[in-house]
Amino acid sequence: MNKSIALTIVSAVAIVALIFLALSINKHKVEQQAMNALALNSLADIKKFESRSSEWGKYYPRQYDTYRQTRQSDKIEDVLKKDPALPTMWAGYGFSKDYNGPRGHYYMVEDNINSLRTGAPVDDKTGPMPTACWTCKSADVPRYMNEKSELDFFTGKWARLGDEIVNPVGCADCHDNETMALTITRPYLIRAMDNEGSLPYADATYQDKRSLVCAQCHSEYYFKPTEWTDPEGNEQVAKVVTFPWDNGFTVEAMETYYDDREFKDWTHKISKTPMLKAQHPGYEIYMTGAHGLNNVACVDCHMPYMREGGVKYSSHNVASPLDNMANSCMNCHRGTEKELRETVERKLERKNELNAMATSVISRAHLEAGKAWELGATEDEMAEILTDIRHAQWRWDYSIASHGSFFHAPEETLRILGSAINKGQDARLKLRIVLAKYDAADYVVPDFSTKEKAQKLAGLPYEKLVDDKMKFQNGLRKEWVESGKQKGLYDPKAWENIEFKTSYSK
Amino acid sequence: MEKNNILKCIAIGSVITAFGVFGYVVNASNMVSYLSEDPKVCINCHVMNTQYATWQHSSHRERATCVQCHLPQASTVDKMIAKARDGFNHSVAMTLRTYEHNTIRISEDASRRIQGSCISCHKELVSQMIESNKSYQTDPDGPLVERRCWDCHRLTSHGSTRSLTTTPNNLGVKELYNTSR
Repeated sequence: MNKSIALTIVSAVAIVALIFLALSINKHKVEQQAMNALALNSLADIKKFESRSSEWGKYYPRQYDTYRQTRQSDKIEDVLKKDPALPTMWAGYGFSKDYNGPRGHYYMVEDNINSLRTGAPVDDKTGPMPTACWTCKSADVPRYMNEKSELDFFTGKWARLGDEIVNPVGCADCHDNETMALTITRPYLIRAMDNEGSLPYADATYQDKRSLVCAQCHSEYYFKPTEWTDPEGNEQVAKVVTFPWDNGFTVEAMETYYDDREFKDWTHKISKTPMLKAQHPGYEIYMTGAHGLNNVACVDCHMPYMREGGVKYSSHNVASPLDNMANSCMNCHRGTEKELRETVERKLERKNELNAMATSVISRAHLEAGKAWELGATEDEMAEILTDIRHAQWRWDYSIASHGSFFHAPEETLRILGSAINKGQDARLKLRIVLAKYDAADYVVPDFSTKEKAQKLAGLPYEKLVDDKMKFQNGLRKEWVESGKQKGLYDPKAWENIEFKTSYSK
Repeated sequence: MEKNNILKCIAIGSVITAFGVFGYVVNASNMVSYLSEDPKVCINCHVMNTQYATWQHSSHRERATCVQCHLPQASTVDKMIAKARDGFNHSVAMTLRTYEHNTIRISEDASRRIQGSCISCHKELVSQMIESNKSYQTDPDGPLVERRCWDCHRLTSHGSTRSLTTTPNNLGVKELYNTSR
C-alpha cells in the first residue's frame, strides 16, 4: 500500500513539473512562430501614416512596449537654473524663458506644449512661435503633410495646429506601414542631403538609414521663409525647417552658410548682436567621431537588439546606451562595463570644464557689450566685437546643444568649444579697449549668479509668462484635446499617466 | 483489500499519465532531434540564429558542423556527456530566462573543447607549432599557452563579431524562412 502511495506522489510531482516544462516550451514556440510570421509581413494591417502608435503596437507588441518605456525618462532638469549664464546668453530669445534637459520620446508633445517658449496663445493666430515648432514632436506631422502639403504645414502660428498634432513621435515617423522598412518622412532631410552632396538620399544604404531616421530631427536647422500660393490663391509665407548643410557638415561650413545669407535667429537684447541659435546638431557631430566614422548607426547603440525567450527584437526605448551596456557597448568592446563607464565619465568631465569656461566668457562679453552701448559706443566700434560674439556663441551652442556630443565626438566637441572660448575672449579684449575709451576700463559685470537674477537682467517678465501659460493650459489647450478627440486623431494610450511636470509649476 | 486495489489503480494510472506527459514533452521539445548532428538542431531555438547564420557564411560551413567543433570528437562517451551537460545548461537558461540580458559567451570548458577540435583537425599544420610553443614559454603559467587559436584567427567560423547586433537580418536563415511559409 505504501508503495502505491509513494509511486502516486512521485508521478504527480513529475506530471506537474513536466506540465510546467511543456507550457514553457509551447510559449517559446508561439513566440518563435509569431516572430517568423512578422518577419514575413503577413499580419499587420496598419493605415498609411497612422499616427496612433497603439495601432502599430497591436502587431509589434515588444517594440511598442519598449517605446512606451521612454516614459521612464521623466525628470525635469532646469538647465537655466544649473547654469545662470544661459538666460543672459539668450536674452531676448525664447530659450531664456525655459530650457530643460530632454525627457523620453513619450513626452514630446506634452513638453512642447508645456514649455514657456511656445507661449500662451489664445486662438489660432496668436503666440510667439510658428507651426515649425511641431515638426519633430509628432507622428501627426507626416500625416498632416501628406493630407495637406508640406508648405501648408509650415504656414501660420504654432497654435493653428494645436488640435491636429496630438500624438508624440512614434512608429509612423520612421517606418513604412506595410513593410516596416525604415523611411524618411521629413522631406527637408532628403533635400538637405541632396544639396550637401556627399551622400545623396538615393544612395543611402539600409545601415545609413538606421541613422538617417534619427537625423530627421537630431540635426541643426533653421526656419527658412518660403513664399507660396495656397489652393485658395492667397500669397503665404511658410517657415520651412531647413538644414544649413549646403557647404558641408562642419561648424565653420554652417557658420559661413548663415553669414552669407546674413541670417539671424534674433537680436540679442543686451549686446544687440545678430545671434544664431544652434539646434542640436547630433547627427553632424556624431559623424565626425569614432563610432560615426566606423558607420556604427545611432540605432546600433541606442536601440540595441534584445532577447525575449525565442524572440529577438530591437529595443525602442531610445535612451543612453549606458543604461543597457550589456546589449549595446559590450557587443563590440572588450573589457568591463566599469572601465568603459569611467572612460565616458572622463569625457563628460572634460566637456563640462570647457563648457563652463565658454558660458562664463560669452555671457560676460554680452554684458560688457551692453555697457559699451550704454556709454555711447558707435556701431563702427562694435561691429567686429559683435561678429566675434555671434561666432563664439554659435560655436559654443553647436558643440553642446546635441545629446552626448562629448561622447559621440569628444575631439570635435572640445575643438569647437576651444574656438568658442577664443572668439569670446577676442570680443572681451576688444571690449576692454572700447570700455577704456569711455572711461570704464574697470567695469565689472552685474551679478547674474542665479536664474532669477539673470532673467531679470535679460528683462524677462517671468511671473507674467507663467500666469499666461497656466491660463492657456486651462483654456485653449483643453479645447485642442476635445477637438483632437472629435477628429479621431487622439491616441489615449499615448497620454496615460502623464503627470504635469515643468520647471515652473509649483 | 479493496482500498489497496484502488490505490494500486491510482498509482498505475498516474505512472501512465506521467509517461504520457513525458511523451508529449519529448515530442514538443524535439528531444529526439538533439541526438543528431545536424546544425539545424542548434536553431530549434531562435537564440542560436546568429551563431548559425555566421557559421553558414564562413569557410567552415563546408567542412565542420556545430558539434564537430563544439563537442569532443575522440570518444563517443565524452561527446555524449558534454552534449548532455551543455544541453542541460541551455535548457535551464532558456526555461528560467537567465541569459536574456547578457551577451552569450562561450564557457571555459567549451572553449577548451573547441581548441582541442581545432588542433585535432589541423594537427599536421600545428603539431610543430605546439612543439615550438613550449620553447618560447619562459613562465610555465604565462599567457602564451592560454592563447586560443581564435584569439588571432578572429574571423574563423563566426565572423569578426558574433553578436545580435552584427546579424540584424538573421531572421532570414533560409531553413526557418522555408518552414514558416
